[in-house]
Amino acid sequence: MAKSKLGKVFSDDLGKNNPVFAQILGICSTLAVTNVLRNTVIMCAGLVFTTALSNYTVSLMRKYIPTRTRMMIETMIIAVYVIIVDIVLRAYLPDVSRELGPYVGLIITNCIVMGRTEAYALQNPPWLSFVDGIASGIGYSYVLIAIAVVREVLGSGAIWGIKILGSGWTNWSILAMAPGGFFMLAIFIWIVKGRGAKEEEVKAK
Amino acid sequence: MSEASKRVFPIWFTLVVTMVFIAITSVVYTMTKEKIQLNERVRLMKSVLVAAGVEMPAEPAEIEKVFTGRVKDVKNDSGGVSYYVIYEEDGSTVSSYVLVRMGAGLWGTITATVGLSRDLGVFAGMEVIDQNETPGLGGRISEQWFKEQFRGKEGPMVTVPEGSPAGEKNQFQAITGATYSTNAIKNLMNGASEYGRQIIEKQ
Repeated sequence: MAKSKLGKVFSDDLGKNNPVFAQILGICSTLAVTNVLRNTVIMCAGLVFTTALSNYTVSLMRKYIPTRTRMMIETMIIAVYVIIVDIVLRAYLPDVSRELGPYVGLIITNCIVMGRTEAYALQNPPWLSFVDGIASGIGYSYVLIAIAVVREVLGSGAIWGIKILGSGWTNWSILAMAPGGFFMLAIFIWIVKGRGAKEEEVKAK
Repeated sequence: MSEASKRVFPIWFTLVVTMVFIAITSVVYTMTKEKIQLNERVRLMKSVLVAAGVEMPAEPAEIEKVFTGRVKDVKNDSGGVSYYVIYEEDGSTVSSYVLVRMGAGLWGTITATVGLSRDLGVFAGMEVIDQNETPGLGGRISEQWFKEQFRGKEGPMVTVPEGSPAGEKNQFQAITGATYSTNAIKNLMNGASEYGRQIIEKQ
């Protein structure tokens, strides 16, 4: 029973309930960080960590949090974790912290974190919420990483900052800039939804 | 719970939870404060030494030692650092000067240290301290090859396309797709050279 529940959390968050292409959450960061793979991966790691821990904490307190002030408390819990990530990075990994700049702080405003605490952690036990946080984070991550790989390769001819396409390649600069994020995300959603629609048709027959 | 206490409960609950979490954050902050300040100090020292072309030890404590031994800051009238003087290892001969310069980038201010030779004619090097350019495009001004190409060059600088040889004394390679950021660096370097002549020669 518990196992199938866990499996459902994962298959939901990675597939039909994916935060990015099904719930269309966290789009701001999808557009902002996906032009270089390195930033994307660090952003994703930060998001998995924050979502899992804030889900866990909110779930621990879910029986006591008053309905009327719950959003304030959720936001604060999320902010505390993000600030701790930021401080620890600045103290122990100053180079990474500088590279990320404002991105870490931006995790606070990532709708996925708030969305999962609201929609899941408030109704479910702590450990399941923790897993849901990780699963949502991974669901977000693989979409972003896929987009980032395409954008960095075509936009800068490189991957993880290392040139892979020779000097004969002309960079598609548009992909490295904000509009490129819109195009890639739209194409991604189009492909995924298109496939989903076909599956539904087959089922209907 | 009575009707009145039911109404007040959310306020108390929120207040207490807030205080607990702020206490946690404060503890983490206090614990790491000194380390963060040290990191920031070392970073400025590193940037000054890189721009001056001084070889750098890896340990932060060692960097601090080299810096205090070989670098002196010259204050301006308002008490801030006007420029840094870097001495040879003997501690008395001037080897180069380093200026901290700012310029307008595409999305925000670019801050960089610029090193000038003793006679102020040649660039000793440069290091980008702070920039918010587009990652993958203008953000590449922080890449090693780009920063290193100014060492030993003589301003005023002009650009050649990325990938072409920049053999002349005043040429450097631009970044394709980031003309604005490249020009920002060009102006910053040329400005530093001019500004250096103005303020250092006066002394």
